[in-house]
Amino acid sequence: MINLEERVVEKKSFFNRLLIVYLFFALIFIFFLQRTYSLQVSEFNNYELAAIENKTKEVLVQPIRGIIYDRNGNILVNNVPSYDLIIKPWQISNIDNFIKEISSFIDLKQGEIDFVIENFKQKSRYNRELILKKGLTKVEIARFEVRSFKFPSAFIDERYSRKNKYPQLFSHAIGYVGGVSNDQLSTILEDQSLNQDETIFRYSNGFLIGKTGIENTYDKILRGLFGKKIYEVDARGKLLRETDFIKPIDGDSLFTSLDLDSHKVAFEKMNNRRGAVVAIEIESGSIVTYLSTPSFSSNDISNGMSSNAFNALLKDANKPFFDRAAQGRYSPASTIKPAIGLFGLDEGLIDWSFSIDDPGYFILPEDQRVYRGWRKGGHGIVDLNKAMIVSSNTYFFSLAYQSDIDDLIKHLSNFGFGRNVCLDCFNPGIGLLPTPEWKMNNLNFGWFKGDTVNLGVGQGYFSATPMQLAYYASMIANKGSHKRLTLVENQVPKILENLPVNKIQNSDWEKLHLSMIGVIDDPQGTAKSLKDLKTYTVAAKSGTVELVSTETKEDYRIIRENEGNRDHAIIIAFGPMPEPKYAVSVIIENGESGGSVAGPVAIAVLNSLIEK
Amino acid sequence: MKKKLNFKNFSIYFDQYLFISITLLSIMGLFFLYSASQEDLNTVIKQSIFVGFGLMLMFTVSQLDPDFYKMSSGLFLVFSIVLIFITMLFGKEINGAKRWLDVGFFTLQTSEIVKIALPIFLASYLYNKPLPISLNHTFKTLILISFIFFLVYRQPDLGTGLVVFMAGIYILFLAGLSWKFIFTSFGLIVLSLPFLWNNFLQPFQRQRILTFLDPSSDPYGSSWNITQSKIAIGSGGMSGKGYQEGSQAHLNFLPEAETDFIFAVIAEEFGFVGVCILLSIFFFILLRCLYLAFNARDRFCRLTIGGLSLIFASTLFINLGMVVGIIPVVGMPLPFISKGGSSLLSFYIAFGIIISMATHKKLMQK
Repeated sequence: MINLEERVVEKKSFFNRLLIVYLFFALIFIFFLQRTYSLQVSEFNNYELAAIENKTKEVLVQPIRGIIYDRNGNILVNNVPSYDLIIKPWQISNIDNFIKEISSFIDLKQGEIDFVIENFKQKSRYNRELILKKGLTKVEIARFEVRSFKFPSAFIDERYSRKNKYPQLFSHAIGYVGGVSNDQLSTILEDQSLNQDETIFRYSNGFLIGKTGIENTYDKILRGLFGKKIYEVDARGKLLRETDFIKPIDGDSLFTSLDLDSHKVAFEKMNNRRGAVVAIEIESGSIVTYLSTPSFSSNDISNGMSSNAFNALLKDANKPFFDRAAQGRYSPASTIKPAIGLFGLDEGLIDWSFSIDDPGYFILPEDQRVYRGWRKGGHGIVDLNKAMIVSSNTYFFSLAYQSDIDDLIKHLSNFGFGRNVCLDCFNPGIGLLPTPEWKMNNLNFGWFKGDTVNLGVGQGYFSATPMQLAYYASMIANKGSHKRLTLVENQVPKILENLPVNKIQNSDWEKLHLSMIGVIDDPQGTAKSLKDLKTYTVAAKSGTVELVSTETKEDYRIIRENEGNRDHAIIIAFGPMPEPKYAVSVIIENGESGGSVAGPVAIAVLNSLIEK
Repeated sequence: MKKKLNFKNFSIYFDQYLFISITLLSIMGLFFLYSASQEDLNTVIKQSIFVGFGLMLMFTVSQLDPDFYKMSSGLFLVFSIVLIFITMLFGKEINGAKRWLDVGFFTLQTSEIVKIALPIFLASYLYNKPLPISLNHTFKTLILISFIFFLVYRQPDLGTGLVVFMAGIYILFLAGLSWKFIFTSFGLIVLSLPFLWNNFLQPFQRQRILTFLDPSSDPYGSSWNITQSKIAIGSGGMSGKGYQEGSQAHLNFLPEAETDFIFAVIAEEFGFVGVCILLSIFFFILLRCLYLAFNARDRFCRLTIGGLSLIFASTLFINLGMVVGIIPVVGMPLPFISKGGSSLLSFYIAFGIIISMATHKKLMQK
């Protein structure tokens, strides 16, 4: 027991102490209020956004790729619907029974059943759909539809496949589509400031991107814009309701300059031989034919094929995946002679009346090395016109011999050699236009005069793609000016290129054209066998690409036993003369004779283009 | 005003200020709980039974004379300790914790009883001790407090354990713990903090404290609760999203929306304005308690009112501090609002005792 005095002290002490604690709590209380105020008022916008983000889930909706047309409005590539059976797992209580019932009238493979059972629980928890069977047949669709009232938790939906209507004809020009890597996908979505997210697919195969050809170079135009469905979700990510739907914008159609009929003709004439055909509409610089054979089915690649079949294609010795038209490297051989002749005229080294005696070989004065023509005994007295018609090597050896190598290279480069001539081709090759620097850097040898002489007949290190040869032919046809090549008009700016000339007149061009007409129409012409295959005049220059250098015809007969050693057949042509509209180049690997093997293909393609 | 209503043969002890404000809080609580439980009528009906029972309990408890509590406080404490031991042996295990005793119609959280029994016992023990409390008494008191804290902590229930511990310390402090002792022991505690950290806290408790100090280190782990709670509160803004319109609560982003985090639901749906109204009621109750403590009839009553009201305040601020992320997450209900059985009833009992202490007058002060 404590006394009265102490009791007063005690009471006072109690009050003070209780007040201290209360004051302490008051401070916390103020701090708490301030904190709540800053959350609810000062930072309200951030938290409001965070709350909305929490409950919002965006699901991307895939756009449909644009249709690809040829220049006459024929559909080349479109989207073909297939019908898939899709289920809503969250409405199904017993998946095993469900599958049992469905499989009583629709044939399900074990793999399909396993996939559904494996993913059922997860998809069900998040209210996500699941594809039970892809590509239903009409019978299966009918069977399901009559029973659909029994299966409210399943439905049939349209999914697309990308289909080329002519899968062999455009495998390289248009190319194929395929799956997207994560990096590519995030780049695509970043363009639309979207995040990689769940997606409602409209293609059976999911995300697609152009892998090669036009599908690749014009992917951005073709693919369209993703749409999105916005859902309200709960904390587990379960979709509760759709709050908004921004429709996807399907890809734009693409009107290419490719010509379906000429492709059909070229493909038929090539008959699966290794080679390439490229044809150009001279005035516009548009590529109308772009074929590399043997080909493959772009649809099989786009829509999935067995790995066995794919490996067989990869291992095929004829390399069907290789785009010979844009990437193949072939020596231009004698087809280069018009350009060399023009160089001689322009530099004043020769004129049309200048002639030499062709003994069938050329001896390099420096080291007495012999450079042979294709015909033993030669062609006698030849001027430029005759040298073109009979394809005299000696004439062009000696002309090249007199040429300055740097000027000659520049001249050839102006015709598109050694550089890219196509504005919108997929991964175009540039061949090889050898220069002294190139030889020193790569082969560690200085430039010999003999290298220049070889250049005069398009042999040696010099190589070009069929695309470059077609461009070159078209530039000659158009008398020294040309637009860079394109596959789609109005999508890339046209670039006009001019051949810078000193002395060449219009009359020189006309005479050159005449000599190239002579290649077919002259009785001595190297491609005279083509004369009756057409009803109009065609200018051409054939060539035979020597793969193995031989001294005599006897030697060649021995080496040709091996098909791979045989000469490549090559031709460039344009017509109808005198106002040419189309230029074409054809290469047939190991085809041996430019005029008689490659020639008929070139004429057939020109026929299909001109005789419309 | 404390009232003593005189009828013919008996008196009714009643404090209308506390009674009205607590009833108001309880009704508001039911209203909030309906939304927080996502319109689950069962939850609300069950809670309203507790509320009704609690209010009756509060009224009943307030009729008993303080001397009754003073005399039987030892018995209460022993009884509540026995209950804790029974819980240890026969308790119901939920999420690895044995805190509940199944008594048929509901499960009793036994630590809630000792939370009240301990301060009353200490008040009855210390009310006649001279100032300042001697070292002998201080140590006896501290040993008892620690023992009970340890029992609760072992359940394990750190949150309630801390409240029990604080309850004891409040009484000791209010009764006149010497300042010298306070400063000395405070210094010692600060020095021994690293030791406590390493030997006394469970890894998950350390983790909670660490993520509290740096919430960005663990956005989807321990601090998910705090993050979501802050989003709920912040997105309520000034005037709230409207009753039953809180997306954080209704789409299950907010954890424990019916219990520990119900304040976040209120803040989300009623905004800063709603928060201020709710808090002013709590604030009023605390001020009323302060007034009653100052006017209590004797030292025992003062100590009891002071101690119990501080337990109430501590629980309130731990809950609020946790919900807005000022302190780490410890399970602590919002008094009279959160869904709950034992913890809810314990506060009705506590306020019943406060009213009893405040309304029973004696002509002569002892």
